Amino acid sequence: MSRSDFPPEFGWRPGLRVGVGLGLAVFPVAVSFGALATTLGWPMLPTILCSVVVVSAGGQFALLTTLTAGSGLPLALGAATLINLRFLPMGVSVAGSLVGPAWKRALAAQTILDGSWAAAYQGGGRYDRRKMFGASAVQWVAWVLGTVVGVVAAPQPELVESLGLDLVFPGFFLVLLLDSFRTTPRAPWIAGTAILLTGGLVFVAPIGVAVLLSSLAAFLVLIGRGRRGPDPSDLVEPA
Amino acid sequence: MTVWVAIGALAIINFVIKAAGPALLGDRPLPPRVSLVVHSLAPALLAGLLIVQLLGEGWRAFDWKLLPGLAAIGVLWMLGRSQIVCLIGGVLVTVAIRALA
Repeated sequence: MSRSDFPPEFGWRPGLRVGVGLGLAVFPVAVSFGALATTLGWPMLPTILCSVVVVSAGGQFALLTTLTAGSGLPLALGAATLINLRFLPMGVSVAGSLVGPAWKRALAAQTILDGSWAAAYQGGGRYDRRKMFGASAVQWVAWVLGTVVGVVAAPQPELVESLGLDLVFPGFFLVLLLDSFRTTPRAPWIAGTAILLTGGLVFVAPIGVAVLLSSLAAFLVLIGRGRRGPDPSDLVEPA
Repeated sequence: MTVWVAIGALAIINFVIKAAGPALLGDRPLPPRVSLVVHSLAPALLAGLLIVQLLGEGWRAFDWKLLPGLAAIGVLWMLGRSQIVCLIGGVLVTVAIRALA
């Protein structure tokens, strides 16, 4: 696929522009991650390294909170992995738009991030890989820099609270959740069930267990499908 | 030591999850039922994370002053505002509520 196949708004440069907006959004979240990790006792180097190599707010935060809450390594990894499993269908969806041998496609797929993936969608099942690369590059820089700022400044919990920064993570999850309502069938029902399930579980069980079991709500989507399987219209294309 | 192992393991798992589709499946899609469940994991887990963030273990971290901020985020989202505007709006409302309370 040549560059001329893409409309003018696609390619590396528009990707970098989109990335600036996405980077501005993830920066304060990254600052909060760095600050919270420091507050909860993670050393500086692994905290920054985590942002360099994982690059997933949900996954990193799940790992941090479940580990520091005393859950074991398997539970912490399980919770973070389940959150990042959403990258599996994203990877499948962009597979046809990536080029080269398997190892090259595998490396290119590492640039899949929520915002970049959505921004790269061209319609008709096609994705602009260059736009995704550009948008993810800027987001990665913002994510790592934000983490460094959070670790170095390491605002105290009282300051975090008085500045309202303790709202950033739940707020971020809420925005992503609301965004998922647009692209996932039955998402409000799934989310409502997960809220009730997790709300009950977290009262009596460790955080890692509660987050892991919240994933059971995803199976709601199959109810009523019976043996005929999902309706093709359920597989909503990203907006 | 556990932190280093956890980060390394998560980085490898993350790599494999992202690489699996393009490297192994290529253009072949997942079975529809599997794809539907995997796609639906995002809202379920995001809702779970939101709740554990809000309540904490044993509901000990619950702070009602965060609720107006979250409500503001919901309103801004419905008005079509960007993620960053939603978050800033929510934070400002939370700061205001705490200043007044």
